[in-house]
Amino acid sequence: MADMSWHSNSKMSDRSAVLDMDAIEPGTISSDRDSGLQDDYSSTFPSESPKGKRAAGGKSFGEDMRQRVGENVTQMMWQAGAQSARRAWNVYGNIDLLRPYFDVEPKEVQSRLVYSLVPMRPTDTRQEVPKELYGPTMVVLTLIALLLYQMKSADHRVEEGTLIGSAFAVCFMYWLGASALVWFVAYVCEVRIAILQILSMMGYALFGHCIVLFLGTVIHTSHDHMFFYLLWAVVGGLSTLRMAGIIMSRTRGSKQRLIVTGTIATLHLFFLLYLHFAYHTIVEEISDAFHQNFVPVPASVKIDVIAPSANVGPAT
Amino acid sequence: MAVLNPLKSAEHTIMQDTDLAGPLVFCLAFGGSLLLSGKLHFGYIYGIGLVGCLAMYCLLNLMSLNGVSAGIIVSVLGYCLLPMVFLSFSAVLLSLKGVVGLVLVIVTVMWCSVSASKLFVSALAMDSQQLLVAYPCALVYGVFALLTVF
Repeated sequence: MADMSWHSNSKMSDRSAVLDMDAIEPGTISSDRDSGLQDDYSSTFPSESPKGKRAAGGKSFGEDMRQRVGENVTQMMWQAGAQSARRAWNVYGNIDLLRPYFDVEPKEVQSRLVYSLVPMRPTDTRQEVPKELYGPTMVVLTLIALLLYQMKSADHRVEEGTLIGSAFAVCFMYWLGASALVWFVAYVCEVRIAILQILSMMGYALFGHCIVLFLGTVIHTSHDHMFFYLLWAVVGGLSTLRMAGIIMSRTRGSKQRLIVTGTIATLHLFFLLYLHFAYHTIVEEISDAFHQNFVPVPASVKIDVIAPSANVGPAT
Repeated sequence: MAVLNPLKSAEHTIMQDTDLAGPLVFCLAFGGSLLLSGKLHFGYIYGIGLVGCLAMYCLLNLMSLNGVSAGIIVSVLGYCLLPMVFLSFSAVLLSLKGVVGLVLVIVTVMWCSVSASKLFVSALAMDSQQLLVAYPCALVYGVFALLTVF
């Protein structure tokens, strides 16, 4: 539909531009003039033919015509451009295009969240992936809120910008960027899946990340990452297997399946590692600093350190 | 009064007269109470409020049948900030980083989000989707609570 409107629009603009440019074509005008005097003015004069004795007055007339024609052409080009921009905005900037993808019920969202952690064995029949954006958007916003809470509690400081800006940038860039990359790889490997389904699938898979971050924040295990690695393997693995099952049910060819599922698994699991180690490690460094300051040096150790150096000094 | 009693059902005509004076007073009161705790966060309040209103405007226009105006969004979110003002005043007297503070924060955020979602749902006739409207409201008020606590 968008192509047709662009096509008709370009036709209209071509039509209007062609009409005006034809009126001032040098070839059609200069053929009626003497070449000596008229070559300089051939592009400016309309159908009329000024004579040689009017050269002085014709120059100002020609300049005037040139100016007017230039203004008219500029105005028409501006109007055509504004019209094209308005049509493009109506087609692409119309928020109503996304309306069908936000039409959900609470129970549907709940079941999709739960099933995002339940891998299903791939079969010949395609596993259904809903084209929905409400759930994934809310999951991403929840992830941002959890990251913000982690950054605040770790007293993370950002030099240029704000904590909210950093969290927004990280989470939305991952969701949209990773989905675009997966869509490209899926397109190359001939996976039968749409971009909205990929957005929905990757968005719901971030629910596992929210659970891991929440449990990691609530349950503090000092200086030990084993609990996080366990959650990373179990929860991250379940959501990755769920996505892998969906992709494998929609792809033919073992190499293609391997490429796409490998891409998804790498992006998904490394993002969780990044979220943990970029923001959680700060808590450990602060607690380490507190631990060193609060451990006093015993007095007997100080005396043993000073005494040997006092004996050696005078002898030399 | 509809904000202070989130469990009572609201009339659908309640949001026909929207005003921005109440929300502005509540934002200033919230900023003033944070100032009493030694936090100068007026800019953050206005920034988070603006982003939150914009996000709710986009979301509710996508979810509702007839669309919603920005004035209603700002008015509802602003009026439902009242419990958060109470929380920030209580932060002057006691620390919110303990268990008591956590419970107070959770209750306040739920109070704000249930009130706001009740008003939105009654104004836009979205009865079956109150939970879907309440959750993003809870996220917005949760960020305000983070400002209050930390």
